[in-house]
Amino acid sequence: MDVIITISLLAILVLYLGLFKAAKALLPVTLVGLLVALGLTFNHWDLANNTKSIFSGMLLFNNFSVAFSALAIISTFLILMLSKDYFERISANVAEYYTIILFALTGIIIIASYHNLSMLFIGIEIMSVSLYILTGIKKRDYASNEAALKYFLMGAFSTGFLLFGITLLYGASGSFDLTEIRNYVASSEEISPIFYAGILLSIIGLCFKAGAAPFHFWTPDVYEGAPTLITAFMSTVVKTAVFAAFLRLFYISLSSVTLQEFWVPVLVVLASLSLLIGNITAVYQQHFKRMLAYSSISHVGYLLFALIALSSASDSAVFLYAAAYTIASIIAFAALMVVQKQVGNDSFDNFNGLGRKNPLLALTLTISMLSLAGIPLTAGFIGKFMMFTGALSTYHTALTVFAVLNAIVGVFYYLRVVVAMYFKDAERNELAVPVYFKIVLVVSTLATIIIGVYPGFIADLI
Amino acid sequence: MSLLSLLIFLPLAAGLLILVLPYAWQQRYKYVALAAVGIQVIMSAFIYLNFDGNAFSGIDAKSKYQLVEQVSWINLQLGRLGSLQIDYFLGIDGLSMPFLVLSSVVMFIAVLSSWEIKTNLKGYFALLMLLNTAIMGVFCALDFFLFYIFYELMLLPLYFLIGMWGGARREYAAIKFFLYTLFGSVFMLLVIIGLYFSVQDPITGNHTFNMLHMMNPDNYIPGSIFSALAEQQIFGIPARLLGFIVLFIAFAIKVPIVPLHTWLPDAHVEAPTPVSIILAGILLKIGGYGILRICMSIFPDAAIDSAWWLGLIGVVSIIYGALNALAQNDLKRMIAYSSVSHMGFVLLGIASITAEGISGAMLQMISHGFLSTMLFFLVGVIYNRVHSRYIHDFRGLALIMPKYTTFIMIAFFASLGLPGFSAFIAEAFSLIGAFTSESVNGLLPRWMAICGSIGILLSAAYLLWTLQRMFFGKTRLMGGEDWKSKLTDVNGREIFVLTSLTVFALLLGILPSLAFDKMNASVLELIRLVNLK
Repeated sequence: MDVIITISLLAILVLYLGLFKAAKALLPVTLVGLLVALGLTFNHWDLANNTKSIFSGMLLFNNFSVAFSALAIISTFLILMLSKDYFERISANVAEYYTIILFALTGIIIIASYHNLSMLFIGIEIMSVSLYILTGIKKRDYASNEAALKYFLMGAFSTGFLLFGITLLYGASGSFDLTEIRNYVASSEEISPIFYAGILLSIIGLCFKAGAAPFHFWTPDVYEGAPTLITAFMSTVVKTAVFAAFLRLFYISLSSVTLQEFWVPVLVVLASLSLLIGNITAVYQQHFKRMLAYSSISHVGYLLFALIALSSASDSAVFLYAAAYTIASIIAFAALMVVQKQVGNDSFDNFNGLGRKNPLLALTLTISMLSLAGIPLTAGFIGKFMMFTGALSTYHTALTVFAVLNAIVGVFYYLRVVVAMYFKDAERNELAVPVYFKIVLVVSTLATIIIGVYPGFIADLI
Repeated sequence: MSLLSLLIFLPLAAGLLILVLPYAWQQRYKYVALAAVGIQVIMSAFIYLNFDGNAFSGIDAKSKYQLVEQVSWINLQLGRLGSLQIDYFLGIDGLSMPFLVLSSVVMFIAVLSSWEIKTNLKGYFALLMLLNTAIMGVFCALDFFLFYIFYELMLLPLYFLIGMWGGARREYAAIKFFLYTLFGSVFMLLVIIGLYFSVQDPITGNHTFNMLHMMNPDNYIPGSIFSALAEQQIFGIPARLLGFIVLFIAFAIKVPIVPLHTWLPDAHVEAPTPVSIILAGILLKIGGYGILRICMSIFPDAAIDSAWWLGLIGVVSIIYGALNALAQNDLKRMIAYSSVSHMGFVLLGIASITAEGISGAMLQMISHGFLSTMLFFLVGVIYNRVHSRYIHDFRGLALIMPKYTTFIMIAFFASLGLPGFSAFIAEAFSLIGAFTSESVNGLLPRWMAICGSIGILLSAAYLLWTLQRMFFGKTRLMGGEDWKSKLTDVNGREIFVLTSLTVFALLLGILPSLAFDKMNASVLELIRLVNLK
């Protein structure tokens, strides 16, 4: 599979560049390599969408995979653009960091295209192990170390759950292959109880990875402790990948009506809890980064709606929502990095008066907050609209009303930073925004608005 | 691109132009904005003159709308749910056309009163133009999704306009306004989605957001959630009634009704004058327009069932708003509460579902649009000069500001319903509607009309009392000689604004047919539609 191979080779190439002290070439080479991978990804797009699985059924790189891989690659590209001079401040050996991020991306592409549960496990492990290292790259920083350890322990634990779940699914159905599992469900008169246990454990494992409540308790500390660039990567690309995995497993293998009766109530509970806990705790945060961390839990809640209302429309709903969330979050994290670097602290007060001194930064951050809050004409609104439409079409009225109430709470805390930037004055100096940051901010903002006004632009991809 | 699109997007273009103009030209931004709005006024006057009220009665038939535009906008394939079909669908009938004229005139005056804004002009005028686009869009949209987009789009510029250029407690007022309105509108979104799943385009068979299709009971899918025949229930309440209530609350927050009005005094007091003008002159009308266009037309059965409650809410708003106005010390707060009271007549007129009542409600919205604009502009005049609005800070203003006092008297007497001014005709028709309702359709008891007339009495009380306290007697000012020198009489620009508003109020008072002729057919069509049930 050319995309996976390209990115892996790119990672090794970058490692060698580091060995030969070509520090200046690292970022350009990585970015060019990602563009090549992106081109190769689109090359697999098939209008008729009847791609065959490859590697003896291990992978299936269809339009779904193309869309999610492209989203992952583009987001990684944008996040890496923010990394100029970032790693240098942490350590002298920066090539490794690029390499590890690329390895994580490889894992993510495998997750987006698996057709066999063993590949899911391998993909998640490649991704997770890379992330454990990335979280701890600030070697001398206490918070970073704590975050890495916490993330490693929790991650290992959840991988265990997932693996156990996969094993039980295998035990009942006799296969790791998604289609085979579906055939087992369709053909057997009575589904073995261990199959249900397998579903439950897989849900727990994946929810751990995605950070859905009540399996979310690691997220705030890890997101806060990890270097901001890595937090951006974890809370966007990684979450998207986990949902791609979720969706593929449930849509292909577990979508029969009898099974839905079993797992839909479980997910309804998880989604409601995520919404509630994520939103309520986000309201009380005084720091921007921690607020983003908690609010990301609530976004997981919204994303779970697509699974609760599982249908052929779910993939485009998840894709639109994930794209909107990812792009808006990248803007937010970019702004956070600028503020953190130059002010040293990310409490809301440090955003005071930014609207006057840094109009571009403030405007783009405002649009990103509006998108995260789901205000019309931004991508976030289309995402929420798709989720609510799906949930109402399956008559989850109470859940939707609950989600709408939560959306209002969300507006409240997302606007806090906007209030600080525009309504509160403070004596402050203009923050220097590097050119790379400006490009990322402007491109992401434009994407947010274009998707908001004309969602057909990317929704037709899937 | 047709006239309506031009009307909607012209201010947006002006706003973008302002954004790219260099800072050195700060003082010219207002002229760009004024030019754009001026062209809008001419265009809306042209639309008004060319509008044939009898031919274009609108409501539920596309062919009866003038200047129709329909282009496919969002088209997403949703697998088993069919395709998400959203149109860019505009058109005007007798219910929406008057508001286009009103909005462009009020907008023009708002820009003229923006001369007082001194800081961050680029952001201010860009936001004002964005708001203008959204307002025009709301009145023209016939696709529910499009309507919702414009409806929500109004919120943001207003939020920033109040929050950045407002008074001391602006942050609180801005977020309160935002959350109140958002609270109503997000639930509206759920009803929109519910309607979308219930209604089918009769030609293509797709689900649709087209409001006109939603008004026709034949287009409802049998057994769907909002189908009248299916009699579905949500949380134990009939689904159609619940849908009506949710939409009604969303719009009633805008109107506003008691007890959902508390954002209004705060927003008005903190907002700068031009924003107060837009809030009172246009925004409140969107609530009334929404109730007529959407609540009544899409859920006529529920509208008839809840007419009594609507009337009661109207009466309570009239009395409660007036009593509150009586108790205020801040002139702007008093006018804000008088808006609550006057908008109560709109609700009372609508609830009667008679031709007189609904015409009266429509005229009351237009009349109140002009008069509240005038009142807020007048408050702005004193506030700009001495930065105080407290009634007891002033006494005997008539001696030092004679022209100003003349305009205040015109505005006050017009607002309290002096015959010859628009408010008299409007309130009289609303009350006639409410009074005859018992014999025509038995929806509203007569005591509601009687209580409504007490509201007129109360409004005379608070307006005349204020007039006495502030303008009559010997001149005595809180700020002494300093204030006396600052309180110069109205200048040319202000006289122009105030005179033109007086002309509008007088014209509509003497020749109400100027408005009634254009909307009568639509009002009758609406009543026919509601009574089909």
